[in-house]
Amino acid sequence: MTFLQILINIIYTSCIVILLSYSFAISYYPVKFFNITFAAIISTGAYLTYLLFRQLNIILWIAIPIATFLSAFIGVLFNIFIYRPLNKKKASSLLMLLVSLGIYIILQNCISLLWGDEIRSLQIANVKIGHEIFGAFITNVQIITISVSLTLFMLTIYFLEYNKIGKCIRAVSTNKELASIQGINSERVILWTIGIGSCLAAVAGILVATENGLTPTMGFNLLLSGVIAMIIGGVGSNCGLIGGSILLASAQQLTAYYMDSKWVDAVAYLILIMFLIWRPLGISGKRLKKIEI
Amino acid sequence: MEYLLHLLILITIYIMLAQSLSLIAGFAGMISLAHAGFFGIGAYTTAILSVNYHFPFLITLPVGMVICGIIAILISTIAIRTVDDYFIICTIGIQIVIFSIMNNWMSLTNGPLGISGIQPINIFGLNLSNKLPFLLLSIIFTLAIYMFLRFIIKSGFGRVLKAISEDEIYTQSIGKNVYLSKVTAFAISAMIAAIPGVLYAHYISYIDPTSFTVDESIFILSIVIIGGMRNLMGILIAAAFLVLLPEALRFIGLPNLIAANLRQIIYGIILIVVIFKSDTIGFTIVTKE
Repeated sequence: MTFLQILINIIYTSCIVILLSYSFAISYYPVKFFNITFAAIISTGAYLTYLLFRQLNIILWIAIPIATFLSAFIGVLFNIFIYRPLNKKKASSLLMLLVSLGIYIILQNCISLLWGDEIRSLQIANVKIGHEIFGAFITNVQIITISVSLTLFMLTIYFLEYNKIGKCIRAVSTNKELASIQGINSERVILWTIGIGSCLAAVAGILVATENGLTPTMGFNLLLSGVIAMIIGGVGSNCGLIGGSILLASAQQLTAYYMDSKWVDAVAYLILIMFLIWRPLGISGKRLKKIEI
Repeated sequence: MEYLLHLLILITIYIMLAQSLSLIAGFAGMISLAHAGFFGIGAYTTAILSVNYHFPFLITLPVGMVICGIIAILISTIAIRTVDDYFIICTIGIQIVIFSIMNNWMSLTNGPLGISGIQPINIFGLNLSNKLPFLLLSIIFTLAIYMFLRFIIKSGFGRVLKAISEDEIYTQSIGKNVYLSKVTAFAISAMIAAIPGVLYAHYISYIDPTSFTVDESIFILSIVIIGGMRNLMGILIAAAFLVLLPEALRFIGLPNLIAANLRQIIYGIILIVVIFKSDTIGFTIVTKE
């Protein structure tokens, strides 16, 4: 049943991409710049889990939350000491992107200084052949990944809809000035978005690491697939984001099956480029800023 | 002595790359992260022509430049529809597509194994396999590129590019063809980036895709930012500094592996500091309206 197997793989990949692109999007909406630091946060989360679980022998279910919160803390720290002053200087989004690129380089190289460049494995369970469903196989790790990412995604959406802070986040994302007039401290709200986004990104990194192992540069491609899903889904729409993730994941899995897994990255970018030509507003058609002046 | 010459050659290659990037990133305001890709296209064209067909340098150079130019025109007609941060994401995409092709198209590029046995440069019976004459050649090319870029910048076309980086819509409203100017600038920049690619392939005589990754593009962009976006002389110093930095770190006794990472950390820090002090480098995209 190759069809079912591909379907399972597509679902698995889409869930990760949804989590990645949502983690990026939630902090993108209020600040409106591409924060490449998230790529480093993804790897940091995975490596901290590796440190705590493998090297310090802490129980996995304690190690993962600690690692997640530590990476979120790192993300927030960078926001306080680097992005906030730059924002006060009214730096353009382009400049912020370049700074975040600099921070990504620093963090990524700190990781490779500490742990080396080789692939490390973060296997949380013995390798098993997986469960069989009508001839297709799904491993425990994949089931955990799918359920964890969907749960986190739902929880975050619920938080944004009904929690007070969540409402503030949505207000600042829609219109920063207007939110400030209503007495919302937009700087603090941005910190919240960075914190939540970093948590989600770190969890995504850990989930990927349990399946594929860790390298210091793992975050960059993961983040970019999240960014692509966000752009092709249409910036600012949750449904579009899910659609974009599913589209991207299907394209990647079908490429891996029918051509070769080595072309996966190239196909992801070709999709992005095609969308930028023919549907620059993404699937949902929400206004993407600064395109086609 | 040989090693010093090797470093000097590397510096000239990076100066050429960074100066060509400066034309689009600094003057036209299009910050691109695809430059290592064009560098690679130049190098791979040379490698394939030289190894399979035994073409000499005087043919590989123009062919490499023309191929790079054509690819750049094709790419830029798409990429230029986006601006600012979307343009960067788009160029990262282009860079990764180019890298995948180099890494995976086994029959053409020999994949991750790379291509070896590229002939050294031989002009009119003058063999440049030694480092000293090669250095002289690359210095001549660096100077030529520098003069050419200065000529472009001083010309009317250069002023149009500067105007585009300041205000695109205004430039369009006074009757300049913004789209065409951007495509032209992108193509010229890519063609210039092919020159160091050709030289590099002939010089190293073995190339593989790892020399042309996104990290390399980021490195070239850092040289441009640290040197000053529109400062061709500053780029010269920045290139020398960033290439010599790991050597200095090795000189004070750090092992190779740590030195490589530390060098990247240091240039990341310099990048951030430079952008923080960006009013000193005459960077027009600092403020937003």
